[in-house]
Amino acid sequence: MSFAALIARNVFTRKLRSSLTGVAVAIGIMTVVALGVLTHSLRLTAISVLRTGEADFTVAQKGVSDVVYSALDDAQVDRLKSYPEVDSVIGVLIAAVKLDANHPFFLELGIPPDQLANFGVQVVAGRAYDADATDQVMLGHRAAADLHKTVGDMITIDTVDLHVVGIYSVGNVFGDSASMLPLTTLQGLERKPGSVTLAFVKVKPGTDIPALRASIEKDSPALATVRTESEFGRVDRNLSLISAANVATSILALVIGAIGVMNTTMMSVFERTREFGVLRAVGWTRARLVGLVMGEAVLISLAGAAVGLAMGYVAILLIQRVPEVAGVFQPDYPTGIFGRALGIAIGMAFIGAFYPAVRAALLKPMEALRHE
Amino acid sequence: MSEATPSPAAIQAIDVVKVFDGGLVRALDGVTMTVGRGEFVAVMGPSGSGKSTLLHLVAALDVPTSGTIIVSGRDLRSAGNERFRRSEVGLVFQLHNLLPHLNTLENVEVPMFSNGMGHRQQRERARELLEAVGLSAKEKTTPPRLSGGERQRLAIARALANHPSIILADEPTGSLDSDSAERILSLFRRIRKERAVTIMLVTHDLHVAAVADRIMYMRDGRIVKDPPAAVHLTASG
Repeated sequence: MSFAALIARNVFTRKLRSSLTGVAVAIGIMTVVALGVLTHSLRLTAISVLRTGEADFTVAQKGVSDVVYSALDDAQVDRLKSYPEVDSVIGVLIAAVKLDANHPFFLELGIPPDQLANFGVQVVAGRAYDADATDQVMLGHRAAADLHKTVGDMITIDTVDLHVVGIYSVGNVFGDSASMLPLTTLQGLERKPGSVTLAFVKVKPGTDIPALRASIEKDSPALATVRTESEFGRVDRNLSLISAANVATSILALVIGAIGVMNTTMMSVFERTREFGVLRAVGWTRARLVGLVMGEAVLISLAGAAVGLAMGYVAILLIQRVPEVAGVFQPDYPTGIFGRALGIAIGMAFIGAFYPAVRAALLKPMEALRHE
Repeated sequence: MSEATPSPAAIQAIDVVKVFDGGLVRALDGVTMTVGRGEFVAVMGPSGSGKSTLLHLVAALDVPTSGTIIVSGRDLRSAGNERFRRSEVGLVFQLHNLLPHLNTLENVEVPMFSNGMGHRQQRERARELLEAVGLSAKEKTTPPRLSGGERQRLAIARALANHPSIILADEPTGSLDSDSAERILSLFRRIRKERAVTIMLVTHDLHVAAVADRIMYMRDGRIVKDPPAAVHLTASG
C-alpha cells in the first residue's frame, strides 16, 4: 500500500467527517467561483460597450462612479475631432431606464443614423431610424426576443411610445440587449442636449496611438482614454470596487473554509489520538504524521473544490434567472477562475490542517496510546 | 573488512527512575537490569509494579526521569527514536492497537513506510509474515472481523515487519482465552527460534512467564528477584 493509498483510504473510511470538511470547502469555492464569474462577466459586458464599433480607443469622463454617468459636451467632442491624427469620432449617449419589473436596467443608445455602420451596427430586420425621428427606435436582437417585439410593433420606454423600425446586432450582449435611437432624440428625452456619454475615436493609419492618447489626456485633464479591459477602471470606479470586493470575498472564503477545515481536522485528530499513538509507536516520524493529516486535508479540499465548482456553475445558472441581471449578464468562465479555486482549496487545506497536523505530530506516543 | 563485536546485552537499564504527576507517583525506582541477545525474558509483577512502564521506556515510547537505557548498543537519550522504534524493536500490545479500517495485509505494511522498501517488496513481506502467523487466508479481512487470537497474531506479524532484533510484548495474552493464549505463546517461541530475536514480555501470569528463559519480578518500581539466565523455568513451573 502506498502512502497516497493510505491517505485515500483514511478519507473514504471516515465519510461523515470527510463530507463535513468537504462541504465547508465546497461552499467557499462556490462563493469564489460564482462571484468570480459574475464579476468577470459583468466586467466583460460593461467593457463591451467600449469595444463596440471599430474604434481604436474610447474617451470618457474621468473617474465617474459608473460609465453611463460619463458626460462629454459638444466642445469636447469637437476638440477630439480637431486632432490631425483622428480619422473620425462618434459620440454616443447612453441612458439606463427601468422598462418594467423584469427589465429594471434597460439601455438606450443614442447614435446618429449615419454613424451606425461605423459603429459596427448591422440592421438585421427592418431599417434604421430617421435622423430626426422622435418616435422611432431599433431594438437589439436579444432585447427584441426578450420583449417579444418585432418590426412594426410599438414599445413604451420611459413613458414614451416608440415604433420599432428595425432590429440590429452589434455582436455583444450589452449592445444587443439594448435599444438605439437617434442621438438628438435621446438627448432631448434625457434633457442632455449637446451631451454624449462616450466618444469612439478612430485614428488615421500610422498614428502613434499611445502618444495621441497622452496628448488628449494632457490637453483635457477631465477626460480619460480607454483602450484595454484593464484600463476600464479609469472611467468606471464601480467595477473596480466590485473587483476589489471579489478579491476580498475570495480571501474571506479562504479564511472561512480554512476555519471549517481546521475545526473538523482538529476533531478528527482528537478522535484519532490513539491511532496516531500507534503510528508513532511503530516508528512513524513526526513529518510523516504531518504529511498524513495534511494529505488527507488536501484530498478532501480538492474533492470539495470539485463539488464547489459544480455548485458555483449551478449558482451562476440561478443568477441568470434573476430579472435584475437579465440582459446585462452573459456568463463567461475564465480559465483563471479554476486555477484560483484550486489554489484557494489547497490554501484552505494547508492553513486549516497545519495546526491540527502539528498537534498530532507532537503527541507523545505513550500519552496517545493511553487515550480512550 | 573487520566486523564490530556485538554487545552481549540487547537491553540494559542502569538505575532508571520514572516518576509521574510531578513526582507523586514513582513508577520505577532505580531499576538496573540486563537482557542478553537472543534471550527470552518475562517481566512479572502485580498491577502498578512498574513492569509496563519499564517496557515502554525500553521501547522509547517514553523517557526516563533519570538513569540510562541502552538498547542494541544505543543510548535512548540520543535523538532519532522513531527510526529506532521502526527498525530495532517490534511492539505487541495487550489491546492489539491495530488500525480497524485497514485489512490485515495493510496493517502489516503500515510500519514499513519510510524503510526504503518498494510497494511490491512491502506487500511480499507482509504476505510472508501473515503466512508465518497463520493468517494468509485472511489478508483482506479487517481487524474487527478477526477473533482476539487472530488480532494478536496480526499484531505480532506487524511487530516483525521491519526485521526487529527485539520484540517487546505488553500482556500479549491478557485479553485471550487459554487456547488462543497458548497459540500466541507457541508463536513467540517459534519466532524466537527461527528469527533469533530477543523477547521481553510483560505479564502478570506465571503460566505465560514460564515459557521464557528467565523471569524478572518487579514490585513497587523495583526488580526484586532476577534469576540468572542459567535457571530455566518450564511451563509446568
